[in-house]
Amino acid sequence: MVDSIEIVLPDIGDYKDVPIVEINVAVGDDVVIDTPLLSIESDKATMEVPSPAAGKVKQLMIEVGSLVSQGSILMILEAGSASGDSPAQEMSAKLASSAKDTGTVAQGESASIEVRERPEPSGLEDRGGRPEVSQAHASPSVRALARELGVPLALVVPSGAKGRVLHDDVTGHVKQVMGSTQLPPSAIAPALPKADFEKFGAIERVPLSRIQQITGANLSRNWNMIPHVTNFDKADVTEAEAFRKNINGEAGEASAKLTMVSILIKAAALALKKYPRFNSSFDQDALILKKYIHIGFAVDTPKGLVVPVIRDCDKKGLIEIASEMRALADKALGGQLSPVDMQGGCISVSSLGGVGGHGFTPIINAPEVAILGAGRAVTEAVWDGSGFQPRRMLPITLSWDHRVVDGVAAARFLGFVATLLNDLRRYAL
Amino acid sequence: MESVIDIFVPDIGDFKDVQIVEVLVKDGDIVDAEQGLIVVESDKATMEIPSPIAGFIKKVFLKIGDKVSRGTVIAKAQPIAPDRAPSKAAAQNVSAVSGGGEERFDLVVIGGGPGGYSAAYRAADLGLRVAMIERYQALGGVCLNVGCIPSKALLHIAAAKEEAESIADKGVRFGSLELDLNALRSFKDGTVKKLTDGLGQMARARDVRIINGLARFVASNRLAIDLDTGASRYVEFEKCIIATGSSANKLSVFPQDKRIVTSTGALQLETIPKQMLVVGAGIIGLEMATIYSALGARIDLVERLPSMLAGVDPDAVKIWQSRNAHRFQHIDLNAGVVSAMTDSNGVSVEIEGAKPGRRIYDLVLQSAGRVPNSANLGLEKIGIRRDAKGFVAVDRQMRTNLPHVFAIGDVAGNPMLAHKAVHEGHVAAEAAAGLKSFFDAKIVPNVAYTDPEVAWVGVMEHEAASSGRRVRSAKFSWAASGRAIASGASYGMTKLIIDQETHRIVGGVIVGPHAGDMIGEICLAIEMGADAIDISKTIHPHPTFGETIGLAAEVYEGVCTDVLPGAKRSTRRASH
Repeated sequence: MVDSIEIVLPDIGDYKDVPIVEINVAVGDDVVIDTPLLSIESDKATMEVPSPAAGKVKQLMIEVGSLVSQGSILMILEAGSASGDSPAQEMSAKLASSAKDTGTVAQGESASIEVRERPEPSGLEDRGGRPEVSQAHASPSVRALARELGVPLALVVPSGAKGRVLHDDVTGHVKQVMGSTQLPPSAIAPALPKADFEKFGAIERVPLSRIQQITGANLSRNWNMIPHVTNFDKADVTEAEAFRKNINGEAGEASAKLTMVSILIKAAALALKKYPRFNSSFDQDALILKKYIHIGFAVDTPKGLVVPVIRDCDKKGLIEIASEMRALADKALGGQLSPVDMQGGCISVSSLGGVGGHGFTPIINAPEVAILGAGRAVTEAVWDGSGFQPRRMLPITLSWDHRVVDGVAAARFLGFVATLLNDLRRYAL
Repeated sequence: MESVIDIFVPDIGDFKDVQIVEVLVKDGDIVDAEQGLIVVESDKATMEIPSPIAGFIKKVFLKIGDKVSRGTVIAKAQPIAPDRAPSKAAAQNVSAVSGGGEERFDLVVIGGGPGGYSAAYRAADLGLRVAMIERYQALGGVCLNVGCIPSKALLHIAAAKEEAESIADKGVRFGSLELDLNALRSFKDGTVKKLTDGLGQMARARDVRIINGLARFVASNRLAIDLDTGASRYVEFEKCIIATGSSANKLSVFPQDKRIVTSTGALQLETIPKQMLVVGAGIIGLEMATIYSALGARIDLVERLPSMLAGVDPDAVKIWQSRNAHRFQHIDLNAGVVSAMTDSNGVSVEIEGAKPGRRIYDLVLQSAGRVPNSANLGLEKIGIRRDAKGFVAVDRQMRTNLPHVFAIGDVAGNPMLAHKAVHEGHVAAEAAAGLKSFFDAKIVPNVAYTDPEVAWVGVMEHEAASSGRRVRSAKFSWAASGRAIASGASYGMTKLIIDQETHRIVGGVIVGPHAGDMIGEICLAIEMGADAIDISKTIHPHPTFGETIGLAAEVYEGVCTDVLPGAKRSTRRASH
């Protein structure tokens, strides 16, 4: 008797219909627990889904490009009898109960997968393994129309009673997609020129990492769709630097170092509180104002740029922010950020202080409406009214969405950040 | 004087470095002008590159996976003047002689069963030039010739006979039974013939070419058809639909004997046995048991699984069993046949199970499943994938792993039901004609045309629990239906299975007369995403069997006044 195990997608955070970008196994392959089965891609990151059980891949229910959500059946394993014991059944019971206890299973890369026993189909029941048909709440004629137009019904906003997708919803969806600015740049802009570079000398083609590809697409979308304006300012961080060094000197090796980025994050949090219009998202004819302050910060990893988010920065102290930053940055460098770690940001902070440069124009991380950038602080001669003083001056920039805020508001916001940095005692006000 | 030329890849549009997915010729082949040499695949389509000349292929330079562009040399060939060309069939060392010229069709359908002819006719209606290859003389496949239709003819007679008997205690009695098997057979055969003749007319009206013979793939766009005469002919196709159906599973434990039959043999109705063994208590086994029992046979039943009608709602199975207990002498569940011998007394069968024993039968029916007819089609020759059970693997458009070859019906997977095959056939035909058709049905209904009839569809209550789906069932017993009582069918039942969260109908079971005719309402409800209240607010005619569906929905809503108040569950009304 061979047990079949259905492998289903575990809870992967607040995502639905994420595409499968890679399948690492084929029918007939033997897998052990934690063998990477496939990779899925959210709009922020790719994630490997490891096998929760050992066995032989009997049937793949998905293909590259399939959209999956939590609970989607990915493949069917024949429980491994080769290993002697049959852990699948036990594990299925164990996982099922643990999944019930916690309501969800673990997140992200370390996610354990729910497995369900699948009885060997009897003659009457077996559907020959055909993947489930569209479960959308739509009549057959509407499903046929969606097929004709190539509309994924899951994306259509239903207007019928109890969430029923109607004929007009499908056509409306198509009109909206065609008429909106959501068109990919390639659809509205001519293709960029290509050249046969080998004509000019030796070349090498290096594939982009998944994160780089995703980031590239997102940045390009944000850059094309958001009317960006960037303001520049300088903050006098002489005292802040002295304070930072002082605190780090006092603290032991073990505790988290207070960094300029953590000070910037806190400043951004306070500025968002004072200028709530920056803590918003643009929604066609409305602005969604957020009553929480979560702040993302850019981390450069070998695989590409990622932006983890620190929650409730307005309620946290500098040390707390610094230590959370450290933990998230470590996770990012290890490639272990889960989508949840990268969700919910209100504004992002990007600092090149550790690298150098006077200033830059960061690209807004949509659906946020502003991003705070910082260059490297340099000592400048600053006129104090009677003479020149050597002051550590930090170049700061703010890119903002002109649909949401204007130059005056941005100048005030950035000026407020500079004022805060100038005298950290204001953090306590 | 023998000139040898290079055959190049011609201008194939704006493509470069396209991959060869297939090489159709090998060294030494003789090709016609326009015969395909290689198949290449661009990101948009696959394309066959034809030979510019008729000739003798001296050497092929390419293999699968190679990349070609305009000007790449495909092969060296020696042209042959058309009048000197030897018979191609002979040159290719094909033993059979060609049964006529090679014809090319937009679509060739292999198999003339319900799925096959539906596909062929739909494609013809969409303007394709269609051929249908059928191994038997009559169209209609198993369903029309040796399945659904003849069995329904006989079940109709069986039901009428038993119905007549059942009214004896109600004051109407007939004389003793007189059975004319010849007349019964010709009624059955006449029913079949009426339908198969109709199919032939429909094919002619649509200009669908029917070729009788056995088809096998010899290349990705060519079929050899082995004719009854022993000869073979070839057809080329743009698209192909495999609709070869299934065959009854023959158990190896049984020897070859005319008293050991499958459903096909049982429907011949050669004799009425005294003692009959039915192996396999699925729909087919129980239908045949019903027919033979009504005609006087005593039936024994052996089933490998712990229940009859495996997978069917347990309440329905219980009713069926209590209504049919009189037909059976022995019912062995969790049991199997270990050995069987034949002699002049009959078939001696040894049964292993809770009550092992050896019994002698006049007739043994093997109804232990069906297997897809995918073995002798040459699928491996062109690389079409099958699963471990022999089903041809297909996607939602019924395409196999070769995008121009489709498979539908029994050969493409369970459930092996004609109505599923017909829908799949339409999807495949439309997809082959370039329409964006997909098999998107949510459910496929099932019917056992026994007495009582049992019909079921969608999510089953007893299976929902294991899949974690929260459902509730609402049952209306026909003991409360005036029409059922008046018709002697108060044993019947209508059950709806409703999703607890959405209140939508997700499944249904009906037991009783015309169950199969009535299940369509529940199918429509599921496909339309109807709530229980949609059915309960729909006025059903009274007094009918069909109103029990409306009444079951009322039971779910807690508004049914035909049941005791205690019987309804206090439910919050579904939102309005």
